[in-house]
Amino acid sequence: MTAHISAKAPALPILTIDDLHIDFVLHTGTVQAVRGISFELYKGETLALVGESGSGKSITAQAILQLLPEPVRYTKGSIEYQQQQLIGAPTAAIRKVRGNRIAMIFQEPMSSLNPLQHIGHQVAEVLIEHKGINRQQAAARVLELFQLVEIPDPQRRLKSYPHELSGGQRQRVMIAMALACEPDILIADEPTTALDVTIQAQIMALLKNLQQKFGMAILFITHDLGVVHQFADRVCVMRKGQLVEHGITKAVFSRPQHPYTCELLDSEPSGSKPAVSQDAPVVLDAKNVQVNFPIRAGFLGRVVDQFRAVDTISLTLRQGQTMGIVGESGSGKSTLGKALLKLLDGHGDIHFDGIQIDGLEPLAMRPLRRKMQVVFQDPFGSLSPRMTIGEIIAEGLKVHEPLLSPRQRDEAVCAVLEEVAIAPSSRNRYPHEFSGGQRQRIAIARAMVLKPRFMLLDEPTSALDRSVQIRVIELLRRLQDKYGLTYLFISHDLAVVRALADHVMVMRSGKVVEQGPTEQIFSYPQQEYTRELITAACPLGNAAQRAHSSA
Amino acid sequence: MSGYALRRLLQSIPTLLVVITLSFFLMRLAPGGPFDGERKLPPEIEANLLAAYNMDQPLYLQYFDYLAGLLVGDFGPSFKYKDFSVTELIWSGFPISFELGMWAMLIGLVFGIGFGCYAALRQNTPGDYLVMSTAMAGIAIPNFVMAPILTLVFGVMLGWLPAGGWNDGAWQNKVLPILALALPQIAYIARMTRGSMIEVMGAQFIRTARAKGISERKVVTRHALKSALLPVISYLGPATAGVITGSVVIEQIFGIPGIGRYFVQAALNRDYTLVMGTVVFYGGLIILFNLLVDLIYAWLDPQIRYE
Amino acid sequence: MSNATFAAQGDSLMQDALRRLFLNRATLVSSLLLTLMAISCFFGPLFFNTELDEVFWDFMGTPPGEGGHWFGTDTNGRDLLLRSLYGGQISLTVALIATLVSLIIGVSYGAISGYMGGRVDNLMMRFVDILYSMPFMFLVILMMVVFGRSILLIYIAIGAVEWLDMARIVRGQTLTLKRKEFIEAAHALGVSDRQIILRHIIPNALGPVIVYVTLTVPKVILLESFLSFLGLGVQEPMTSWGVLISEGTANMEGAPWQLFFPAAMLAITLFCLNFIGDGLRDALDPKSR
Repeated sequence: MTAHISAKAPALPILTIDDLHIDFVLHTGTVQAVRGISFELYKGETLALVGESGSGKSITAQAILQLLPEPVRYTKGSIEYQQQQLIGAPTAAIRKVRGNRIAMIFQEPMSSLNPLQHIGHQVAEVLIEHKGINRQQAAARVLELFQLVEIPDPQRRLKSYPHELSGGQRQRVMIAMALACEPDILIADEPTTALDVTIQAQIMALLKNLQQKFGMAILFITHDLGVVHQFADRVCVMRKGQLVEHGITKAVFSRPQHPYTCELLDSEPSGSKPAVSQDAPVVLDAKNVQVNFPIRAGFLGRVVDQFRAVDTISLTLRQGQTMGIVGESGSGKSTLGKALLKLLDGHGDIHFDGIQIDGLEPLAMRPLRRKMQVVFQDPFGSLSPRMTIGEIIAEGLKVHEPLLSPRQRDEAVCAVLEEVAIAPSSRNRYPHEFSGGQRQRIAIARAMVLKPRFMLLDEPTSALDRSVQIRVIELLRRLQDKYGLTYLFISHDLAVVRALADHVMVMRSGKVVEQGPTEQIFSYPQQEYTRELITAACPLGNAAQRAHSSA
Repeated sequence: MSGYALRRLLQSIPTLLVVITLSFFLMRLAPGGPFDGERKLPPEIEANLLAAYNMDQPLYLQYFDYLAGLLVGDFGPSFKYKDFSVTELIWSGFPISFELGMWAMLIGLVFGIGFGCYAALRQNTPGDYLVMSTAMAGIAIPNFVMAPILTLVFGVMLGWLPAGGWNDGAWQNKVLPILALALPQIAYIARMTRGSMIEVMGAQFIRTARAKGISERKVVTRHALKSALLPVISYLGPATAGVITGSVVIEQIFGIPGIGRYFVQAALNRDYTLVMGTVVFYGGLIILFNLLVDLIYAWLDPQIRYE
Repeated sequence: MSNATFAAQGDSLMQDALRRLFLNRATLVSSLLLTLMAISCFFGPLFFNTELDEVFWDFMGTPPGEGGHWFGTDTNGRDLLLRSLYGGQISLTVALIATLVSLIIGVSYGAISGYMGGRVDNLMMRFVDILYSMPFMFLVILMMVVFGRSILLIYIAIGAVEWLDMARIVRGQTLTLKRKEFIEAAHALGVSDRQIILRHIIPNALGPVIVYVTLTVPKVILLESFLSFLGLGVQEPMTSWGVLISEGTANMEGAPWQLFFPAAMLAITLFCLNFIGDGLRDALDPKSR
């Protein structure tokens, strides 16, 4: 099915991909990464290629410019740019297209720029290559481009190196580089995924603005349905190397045809959590928490200054409550969480279960540890690769219930694995044999086996695909209901926080911007920064709800 | 940049001081005096000798005297070559060793980088395998084995080049020693270049460079090469030490009157002041080279410079 | 319900690495060859009814094969095969002991430095930096000159030289691991520092350490032969590959086999060790997975 539906419907597409098949021939066997993709791209439109990790969307994008590394095989199909076949075209011909007619920006703006070259020079290189102009002319044009993509102080920035720029500025440089030759097509491969939400919104607005100015088509590769909903004219949904649905964005969002699209739309976190009663017992009470990091310099690393990562924050958590802490990277939200659990040193009065824990010796802290557990973000880094998951889960039991027999311990491990929906029979396997979502369940099992009262959830869903995320969220909800757990939920993902937390604290530069009941913060934000965050997060909002009801 | 250079310069002073102090006290720990083994000297002559070598003073004064001497480039008198100072001996041998070492490094760099890039850009082809197995041989066969083999083949069997001797530095006499010194360096540098080149060619900014539409040759020369050479640059410090150490054996085998040969003879003759002087001199040289290499690295990599 | 019965056995990373290691043909052949070399050097001399320094007056510097001397004899009429095997014993023993010395110093120094962190780490690593810039080979020679040549000194001196890299590697590993979330999770579980080091840090730091050990062994062998070649290593009547090569070099025009056999044995050993090191590195490198 090749749907010729387009918002603007001009006569001929500028890019036609027809029945594309891409294999990777590895020594372990052939991987069919893309299996029969067809779509067309028209002048001036924005087409989004949506899918989860492993769906083949990035591979399709890189195939257009023939950028895939060996051992790639284009087994079938064609990629035509204005009637010119790109697959198997001579290198010289493809080079005339690359960066000139079709340009590309990538996910990681830091590693996508040459760290050893001035950024001005890197952008100029495209112009010199394709426009045949000299260095001076190119430099003048680069300055214009830097102004166009709104890089502050562009004249000075010409001679900057990538590491001297912020993430958002680096992506602007990439965009300047891509737009240098005013291409017909801009391929944007997850261009905002590595950026903070507010920066993300700025970059997307810039792209939209530049598209109107230059009239180029944008092929937008992303996993983020919110971004698709706001920016794309048409959308192609990919799954396991195939195109499952294809159509005008609004139509796909309101009346998804394929079950997988419905699943994707449903996996946007939804629901909310009612507040707990004001007389529920207090689990954690912290007053004026501060964390300072020493800044060292000089020959012997003398402490020259203090960096205040958490600046005088107080909070109270009651049993059954979920407090969400949101903020961008570097806001100090994780540091606060760890300081509350005394995983790093801070100052301030912290009471856990009525016991004052600041200033407690590690040994005295140990019995309390079992009641306060942590689940971290990185499902790859949080499980020791040299231990079986059974050993990993049992480790806490060994510390806190040394009297258990090996058999009792094993039974406890099996029970908790069952609880998180991992087959107990797999407990002798090693972490690398599990998927990201499974590993996160194992990390939750490691915490749950101790039957804690309080859990610090430090970005537990951020590294996961939405459809996996939703199941982890459901698991966390179920555990909370069943055991009356108290959560401190740290995340930069506002949609997840809105669905899980009943109380939200917004942090920036180590300070609280504002806090309050979730619905109040989301519906009536008092501070400018909070408003910015919420708008930037562009959740699907009503669209998702509508999709939900009509599906 | 200049701040960084100054800091690195200051950091190398304690290193040099440790080398000097260590060698000085190690030498003074040696059992027996410098004149043992000769027939028993009358006490007054021995006292005179000790005074001549400044050894009748307390140890700490001797140490400071030695330090003061070093500051003006005076390494003291030799124990065995009674008519020469250690400084004279070092300066007579150093230019020869330096010339051989520099040629060896130059050849090692040019061919090592060349072969390494060739192998990396043709990864897993017969050419790659050939270069890499040859390089492995260069690493596994020590230069004191390589040198006699080269002599045997080119000097004795083929008769193309002199099998040994110095002949006042005729170029024919330099070829084999330089080759013997350079071969392991070629091997190490080729392996290192290949490894880092392969890694860099997989980096994302190389994909960006390709997406710009520039030719593969420009991708390699303008974008990949500089990054790929950074590890090679930092290897140059240890490499210098390696070449200097290697020259000790090579000079011995080929009978070249360089500083390395003096060193071995001094070590075998227990000429303490000469051994110590050479150690301190080489120590200073290695520290100097490490410093230079760090500065070159900082100049190439802006991320270090501004740290 | 018996849980143990349906417990499927998983694949540890180590088993995985070993499997890939033995898929590498060069590594496999190298391991076999090296084992053979070690067995011959240590058990071969038992089959000789002659002594290491026994002189065969009728066979002075004779080529291989004559009078049942497979490798020929040296200028003093001693059996070269026997001497090469004994030389191998010295080289391999030095390798083993010196590597062990460097392993012990390096691992403890690096782990302490990395685990303590902060100012202690800074000072300890500054010290390593200083030692790094030292002309160590020359200091070793200086030590040989000052304290006289002894095999024990060679062990210690070489081990003391080689620990620097090991310390840096272990420290780097410890620092990376310390930041890993599973270490933090273990802290959160209330696991003691000692248990964290034993159960989490050391097993995970092991891979790179093993690789580095295999790459240290050839370096050590090379250092010892270098010293012996210069006449600063082991002394008569004991011998080592370095000594034999040095003697062979002196006579290479008249009796090339005196150079060839010990040099070949040394080169083969170094080859094998380097291949094994390379293979191990590939096998343990997560990027090649």
